[in-house]
Amino acid sequence: MKILVIEDEKELSKSICQYLASEQFITETAYDFNTALEKISLYDYACIILDITLPYGSGLNILKELKDNNKADGVIIISAKNSLDDKVFGLKAGADDYLTKPFHLSELSARVAAIIRRKSFDGKNTVVFDELQIQLDAKQALINNKILDLTKKEYDLLLYFISNKNKVISKSAIAEHLWGDNMDLADNYDFIYTHIKNLRRKLLQYGAPDYIKSVYGMGYKFSLPK
Amino acid sequence: MKLFTKYNRINVISTVIIFLIGCAAFSFLLRYVIINQVDEDLKIEKNEILTYIKTNAHLPSVIEVKDQYTTYRSINKPITLTNKIFTNEAYDKDDRKKELRRTIEFTVNVNNEWYMVNVSKSLEGTDELIQTIIVITVALILLILAATFIINRIVLKKLWHPFYSTLSVTQQFNLNDKQRIHFDATNIDEFNYLNSTLNNALIKAQKDYKSLKEFTENASHELQTPLAVIQSKLDILIQNEKLSEGESINIQGAYDAVQNLKKLNHSLLLLAKIENNQFSAQTKIDLTQLLQNKLGQFADLWKNRQMTEKVNMQPVVIKSNEQLVDILLNNLLSNATKHNYPNGSISITLQHKKLIVTNTSNEGVIDEKILFKRFSKANISADGYGLGLSIIKQICDASGFVCIYNFSEPNVHSFIIEFN
Repeated sequence: MKILVIEDEKELSKSICQYLASEQFITETAYDFNTALEKISLYDYACIILDITLPYGSGLNILKELKDNNKADGVIIISAKNSLDDKVFGLKAGADDYLTKPFHLSELSARVAAIIRRKSFDGKNTVVFDELQIQLDAKQALINNKILDLTKKEYDLLLYFISNKNKVISKSAIAEHLWGDNMDLADNYDFIYTHIKNLRRKLLQYGAPDYIKSVYGMGYKFSLPK
Repeated sequence: MKLFTKYNRINVISTVIIFLIGCAAFSFLLRYVIINQVDEDLKIEKNEILTYIKTNAHLPSVIEVKDQYTTYRSINKPITLTNKIFTNEAYDKDDRKKELRRTIEFTVNVNNEWYMVNVSKSLEGTDELIQTIIVITVALILLILAATFIINRIVLKKLWHPFYSTLSVTQQFNLNDKQRIHFDATNIDEFNYLNSTLNNALIKAQKDYKSLKEFTENASHELQTPLAVIQSKLDILIQNEKLSEGESINIQGAYDAVQNLKKLNHSLLLLAKIENNQFSAQTKIDLTQLLQNKLGQFADLWKNRQMTEKVNMQPVVIKSNEQLVDILLNNLLSNATKHNYPNGSISITLQHKKLIVTNTSNEGVIDEKILFKRFSKANISADGYGLGLSIIKQICDASGFVCIYNFSEPNVHSFIIEFN
């Protein structure tokens, strides 16, 4: 599956590509408007990560071009402008999601994964990880066909982990994902620990291996235990 | 004191003084002239008597003339000859009262017999004249005062009208307004000059303020991209499995600092946007519902810190900007949480369009002067920048809410928001 990163800040673009590059994603980059326009006309992408302010043109025009040509590529706008109007405008213009800079790569990855899931699994919305099965429509997780009794926060957390499997996710990224970035919670993210602990306990209880690993003080990693 | 009053006071006092001096001088002068005239008459009278005696060798008979009295009195041979003019008081038989008279007295020798001749003229007419003059003067003073008063009332008010209109325009001036200030043109040079000077100063202030705001906003915007780069690099860096514990601690430190920087920048942008009235859309907000959601979000946090919450809510619906109200509630609750201690308590009361958030704390009373100031030391906790409260204040100002701070011992802080 191919992802196009249209972002003029090369270092940010590189980071995004590096993070997303895994067995199922191949990333391509475009640093300006013209290159981006050329690439979208030549290829189809599972998802396009689109910056609005680009050299030689606006990202919104690329969005328009995509819609005019009836391209089904999923689009997530990443913009330094954090205002409801810009968000509404971008989504009305046909973007699937809108993320304000600066963001956590894990957040971007989760959103890209969500867009791709929506675009590619028509109706049959299931994510599988090892013994774990997540039914997105029903918002429930199953292990060996047994439904896990999860709270909403635990379910969101599990989905976030699976969208970022094999990656270390920082505590602040988890807090922001679950509680939103408006909540000024200071540096103390201890409260997320309770949710992680409960989720881990429930997974183990239903017979799954211990997927969640704590990485020093930085965060957590969701992966198959070695 | 008003300019009119001050001007009127000076005007009235000087007018009265000038008129009084004028009146006194006029009456003295008139009296002097009249008395001189009377004296001349008396001297003529004397000459006539002397001439008559020289020709006829006897005293002339007294002829009754109105307001003139002549008497002869025989005397012994005087040592010196008398010849004097003076003012005296005498009884007037006709008017039956005392009156002032001007009298000439001289001695004459008629056939070796000495007589004292006394001719007086009544000054009653003169007094009447002077009285009339005083009455006229006083009447004039009153008339002039009345005229001045009316002129000041009508003319000065009219003359000063442009000044007051300039004043009211200046009073309504708001640095934040995008509208240009407008003064009505007048046909008085001084006021036009005042208006143009004020206009220039205010436009410059507006421009400076605007560029300062734009600078803050642009700087914050421009910071977003490098912040995104740093954030992304750190997100990549923590993926490295070979990091030692020491390296991880360093990265964690940098990571936390970037989170703080993100928050700071976010707050500065938010403040700039509120000032730019970018949150103008108004909707009906079910405050109870919104607050209930927020409490749900904070519940984990409070539970984790073993804090207890007391909630008392009555249905309240307001009309305002939903985003701003959301941020307001967030900041109030965050503030009450951050400045609290483990096992502390938070009380939330929502009723009668009033929200009261009270929290226990280790910190003492906050000086209200710096309470809502940006970056003020009073509300900088170990991890904050002192922007939370100024955002609360800014949102209240922009939305027409009233924010009140209350402190009671022992270290209980409350913030009361009145939604109007």
